[in-house]
Amino acid sequence: MSSSDNGTNPTLRLQGVGKWFGSLHVLDDIDIDVKTQEILTVLGPSGCGKTTLLRIVNGLILCERGEVSFKGELVDGPRPEMAMVFQNFGLFPWKRLDQNIGYALKIQGKEKGEIDRLVSHYTELVGLGGFEANYPAQLSGGMQQRAGLARALAAQPDVLLMDEPFGALDALTRETLQEELLRINEAEPKAMIFITHSIDEALLLGDRVLVMTPRPGRIRFQFETGFGRGRDLEELRGGKRFQALRHYLWEALRNPDEEPEPIPELIAE
Amino acid sequence: MTTDAPTAARVSTAEKASWERIKEPAVYVRLISLVVVIGGWELMGLTGNIDPVTFSYPSAISVAFWDLIASGQMTAAAYESSQILVAGLLIAIPLGIVLGILMGRFRTFEYAVDTYVFALYATPVVALAFPIAMVLGVDFVGKTTIVVFFAIMPIIVNVYHGVRNVDLSLLEVTRSFCSTESQRWRDLIFPSVVPYLVAGLGLACGRALVGMVVAEFLMSISGLGALSQDYIGDLELDKGLAPVVLLMAVGIALTKVVNICETKFSSWRVRQES
Repeated sequence: MSSSDNGTNPTLRLQGVGKWFGSLHVLDDIDIDVKTQEILTVLGPSGCGKTTLLRIVNGLILCERGEVSFKGELVDGPRPEMAMVFQNFGLFPWKRLDQNIGYALKIQGKEKGEIDRLVSHYTELVGLGGFEANYPAQLSGGMQQRAGLARALAAQPDVLLMDEPFGALDALTRETLQEELLRINEAEPKAMIFITHSIDEALLLGDRVLVMTPRPGRIRFQFETGFGRGRDLEELRGGKRFQALRHYLWEALRNPDEEPEPIPELIAE
Repeated sequence: MTTDAPTAARVSTAEKASWERIKEPAVYVRLISLVVVIGGWELMGLTGNIDPVTFSYPSAISVAFWDLIASGQMTAAAYESSQILVAGLLIAIPLGIVLGILMGRFRTFEYAVDTYVFALYATPVVALAFPIAMVLGVDFVGKTTIVVFFAIMPIIVNVYHGVRNVDLSLLEVTRSFCSTESQRWRDLIFPSVVPYLVAGLGLACGRALVGMVVAEFLMSISGLGALSQDYIGDLELDKGLAPVVLLMAVGIALTKVVNICETKFSSWRVRQES
């Protein structure tokens, strides 16, 4: 399976994906390739089918048209190589933090020793050491989402699916977690689809930003951010290229009906 | 590292404080309420305002209570009654859980039986005593069946609602992580049903006690129901009410047991205090 892991071949491929809920046309003709270790951020107005798209990729729902393939295999249901981080955290309130983080491993039938080792590794990685015995209700939203992230990472997936994971958090917590996510991804790189409706978040985290149209969701345009790995978010925010792209995305999202101008030539700063 | 992290120690102190704050006034309010109500009642009796043929008062009932225990009548009657109560609950609880789960999880089963379940839930079970006696007899089997009918309804209905109200976003989490159906029951459905089940058990215990007395009144007369009715018939109200006091005490004790179970099973439901 990993013969083509040279960082360029797609791990995930969506071809002509179309989705209807009854007579409601939600997604239309979506083609996306996600390369190994690439972070793709998907940006779009509310109700454009971003979350539906992610659920299709995860195999939670099926599309009426087109197909999703993972390393060349058709995705027709959830598979352990992909793990989702949910917007509302999705932790089991009656499980302790360590049990929540080890949930996927237990589902996969891993041995207890292996589970303990991985749980303690990922608990430390997301900065939750010392809170293993707490229940989710005892923790802040930011800490709960750290646990949600640790649970997904502990499953050791090839693809992380992030459904507006920081959308429910306050601004400060959100920025902290954005930095931590990049730090963690550098330590253990994975392909990632990151859904967001925040322009800043899309630019800060993405190797590539994909913008969708309002319903039915289509791909409007996409571009490489070109910021590279090991980026310093503070520095990035102040940079000319970031500001220009930010303004460009603002204008594009504000005028959903106008054909966007080609991306200005600011690739080289 | 974080701006959003309280320390583990602080979380647990906050939790403890909130428990104590809730608990203490409750004890005092109950004590004061008991003193006022029981004391007032007793005072009415001592001042001759209660006719012993139609009603009684606490000290007279207490004396009668000890008399009945000393003569062995109370313990014998209680032993007799407890057999149908325990047998009825031992059948009603597992059967109610199974039926509630089947109804909650399988649409076909739900549609097949929900009419009867909700019709029976609204029916005064007393009305069923006669047909049950005709079919199953007026002794142990018939009486136990009455208790089962009384007790099973809140269990079925609560478990059914518990299964139906499983958090859909958590259901999606289990699917996303490739959980099997049996793992889904263990991780999600059973834990979500527990609070509903416990509430149902509390109601079921109270109704089982009522069912027990109804069965003892209406079928072959026996146990605490018979003891009470005999003395009330003889216009000895103090002795007639003594078994009722015992039933009340059992009712309170069963509710307490259920509450303790509830606390034990829901340690995760922490009151969040800042």
